[in-house]
Amino acid sequence: MTDMTERQELQDRLSLIEQMMAEGRQTTSSWGWVFVLWGIAYYISIAWSALGHSAVAWPVTMIAASIITAVASSRSRSGQPGTTAGRAMSAIWIGVGVSMFILLLSAGIKGRMDAQTFIAVVAAMLGSANAASGILLKWRAQFLCALVWWATAVVSCFGSEAQSQIAGMTALFLCQIVFGVYMMVLEARERKGQAGKTSGAHA
Amino acid sequence: MPEELTTALPELNPVIHGKLRLALLSLLSSVEEAEFTWLRAKTGSTDGNLGAQLLKLEEAGYVAMEKKFVLRKPQTTYAITASGREALTDYVQALKQLLGAAIGA
Repeated sequence: MTDMTERQELQDRLSLIEQMMAEGRQTTSSWGWVFVLWGIAYYISIAWSALGHSAVAWPVTMIAASIITAVASSRSRSGQPGTTAGRAMSAIWIGVGVSMFILLLSAGIKGRMDAQTFIAVVAAMLGSANAASGILLKWRAQFLCALVWWATAVVSCFGSEAQSQIAGMTALFLCQIVFGVYMMVLEARERKGQAGKTSGAHA
Repeated sequence: MPEELTTALPELNPVIHGKLRLALLSLLSSVEEAEFTWLRAKTGSTDGNLGAQLLKLEEAGYVAMEKKFVLRKPQTTYAITASGREALTDYVQALKQLLGAAIGA
């Protein structure tokens, strides 16, 4: 009986280690809203540009979206521990975001990029970021978004301007708005589950 | 149980063996650093007990504490040290060995 109790206690210790390690790796940070925000920002830029203010529309909208993302994400992450995976994700998106901003702003000012090349470059870069995140998180849904973006880049290079724009708008809707909302739903479910788990005392 | 078998079994590190200290070290092993408030929320412990257990881990050299000010607010963060990680690995190995022996007995 004592042996059984001791064995159970040792087993409990091992389970406690596994449970705590898993909880440490879990993040309660939400990122779905960022996808939706940037999807809306792109649509605003496109609509604003269509009205004939493209030189102002893109930089203003992108800077505003960047500021909102930086402020809101720093608030939501306060108190959350830093993890290597989290830092890797930030590195991917910050790197791609800054590259896109610098390249597209410079090319836009100098008028070195037509609409199709612009869509192809944006789609290819978003494809890389989604693919890297999808591989890192082992998340097929995000990798699927990467495939959609890459297909858009190819269509933009080979298709007509109208086809390129339709592909771009469709990818934007699927990979930013739909994927962002899907991510928000998953995050809400995860938070609910975690709240249930942490209500029990661990120690 | 034969004597040589009893002596071959490893001893569990008493500093880590406490449930709360074990939970804290396990949590810290999966993050780069964590705030006191986050550790409190994850373990459901009281401030006093958590502080005392973290101090024991710090005294053993298993965790490192850093106090800083973020936006004028004091913030205490903890991170596992190399020896803390090694001690946790050894503890897990010892646990597995003891469990294996218990199954074999």
